[in-house]
Amino acid sequence: MRSPPRTEEGPAVRLVTGPSKFLTDVASVFEIRFILLRRSWYWYLMGTLVFPIGMFYFASALAPDHPDAIRRAMIGTIVFGSTMLTTSMLGQSVIYDRFQGRLKLIITMPVSRFAYAAGILSVGAVLSGSAVGILLIVALIAGVDFTFTWSFLPIVVTVLLTMSGLTLLVVSYAPSPEVGGIMSNLLGVFMALVSPVYFPMEQAPALMRAFGWVSPLRYAADGMMKSLSGQPDVYFEVAILVVFSAVCLGAGLWKLRWQES
Amino acid sequence: MVAPDRPLIVDSINKRYGSGPYANRDVSFAAHPGEMLGILGPNGAGKTTLVRQITTELLPTSGSIHVFGVDVVSDPIGVKNMMGVVPQEAQLFELITVYETLRIFGKLRGLSSRDARRRAEELLTDLRLAEYRNVTNMRLSGGLKRRVMVGISMIANPGLIVLDEPTTGLDPQSRRDMWDVMRDYKDRGTTILMTTHYMEEAEALCDRVGIISQGSLLALDTVPNLRSARGFDFKITYAVDGLNGASETIFGTDDRELVDRVRQMGIRQYSVGRTTLEDVYLALTDGTGHNA
Repeated sequence: MRSPPRTEEGPAVRLVTGPSKFLTDVASVFEIRFILLRRSWYWYLMGTLVFPIGMFYFASALAPDHPDAIRRAMIGTIVFGSTMLTTSMLGQSVIYDRFQGRLKLIITMPVSRFAYAAGILSVGAVLSGSAVGILLIVALIAGVDFTFTWSFLPIVVTVLLTMSGLTLLVVSYAPSPEVGGIMSNLLGVFMALVSPVYFPMEQAPALMRAFGWVSPLRYAADGMMKSLSGQPDVYFEVAILVVFSAVCLGAGLWKLRWQES
Repeated sequence: MVAPDRPLIVDSINKRYGSGPYANRDVSFAAHPGEMLGILGPNGAGKTTLVRQITTELLPTSGSIHVFGVDVVSDPIGVKNMMGVVPQEAQLFELITVYETLRIFGKLRGLSSRDARRRAEELLTDLRLAEYRNVTNMRLSGGLKRRVMVGISMIANPGLIVLDEPTTGLDPQSRRDMWDVMRDYKDRGTTILMTTHYMEEAEALCDRVGIISQGSLLALDTVPNLRSARGFDFKITYAVDGLNGASETIFGTDDRELVDRVRQMGIRQYSVGRTTLEDVYLALTDGTGHNA
């Protein structure tokens, strides 16, 4: 690695390079976001939890005596809540960085777009993880019968990566910050409400069932249903979600412009 | 391998968007170590396009740019390691304090946590920002924000700093403060490339000035040489039609000769002076901002 030329009177500084630099960049982007988030995290959480929890009680009321239906309603709530949080938080971060000229400042740094995206995704992961935890606690308080297995975690991670990739892709087409905000929110709501997440595929109307075949959220909900019912064999769902996350993240990062031609 | 000791070499750069007009056409120049080089031109002349290509943000259509011998297209991260940039339209993260901004961007620049903290403290003093250490960026004036931006660009002591219209929109005092900061870094041996559309700024700060118009670099030299090359050392302005009529200006290399010429025309009221960069600029661009 070439060492940068120094000014005559400048103090000697050594630059961090390689994988350490990548990790430092991820941590620095995370830190910037975290400082911003520290002042308003509760609004993100409230905005994300209020509607899904309302939906949970609404769905539970439709099948009050059926534990599987209630468990599925809770899973729908987790998928909906974490999806909304990811799309709105990530979407707004990228959109406002882009339109308010902050991304321009980061692009002048020796930072890769992968590090920038990973930094923002890390904050999203912390927020979404908190939301999932809170929703599980709400489920316990509400008396939902579920058994937590560790196979739940890879499903949460892969579905959040998938939605992050989709968000990066969708907001790259935003013509303005206002429209970008609408686009990212619509993505979350549309994906969660049109996919069969609050009930199984078999109970879904024909149109929803058709969409369910290509919706990552349906596989996430199916996998969560298994894992929270005490069945850890979620390999099929995780495999599908890994493919989804690779494709969506690849497309999203490809559209995150670091250099214009 | 292009000279690694030369801070910046721009060689025959062309930039064209699709089949539209050229934003930059055959631009070539080199910056010498430790000099302040100004690129002067009106809005839309192609200054920012040129800067964006140098800072690796925009790919040239053809030609090459090397920063300390490193190609901006093939190794953009390597180039960014050696160059500080103050982009024209960039904004700071508003809810972060001045110290946090310098420290975090120091790490993004590649400094270790310890060096980033040390350099952030040093820059607070250097840039006279110490009293704003714990103030969030959103509470800073435009001039102070621009100073923080310069701090970000200087945090790793790069050999080259690129400033795109660093004083646009600043009040006169903030502008003078920014000039002092730039002079200070130039005195420390930093090579500075700046774009501006303020003639007096280029004249006051820059060792050499390039005049760009419609994407082309029309001239590049020291201000005295730019004047001499056009026979523009002095100017004399006189009224053509009485005191209320239009005035005319003629240029020449000898002020006495100019006075004699005007007096021979029977004119007794005139003013003689040295030409300014603005005069040279207007002559080169035919007074329109477009190529003469």
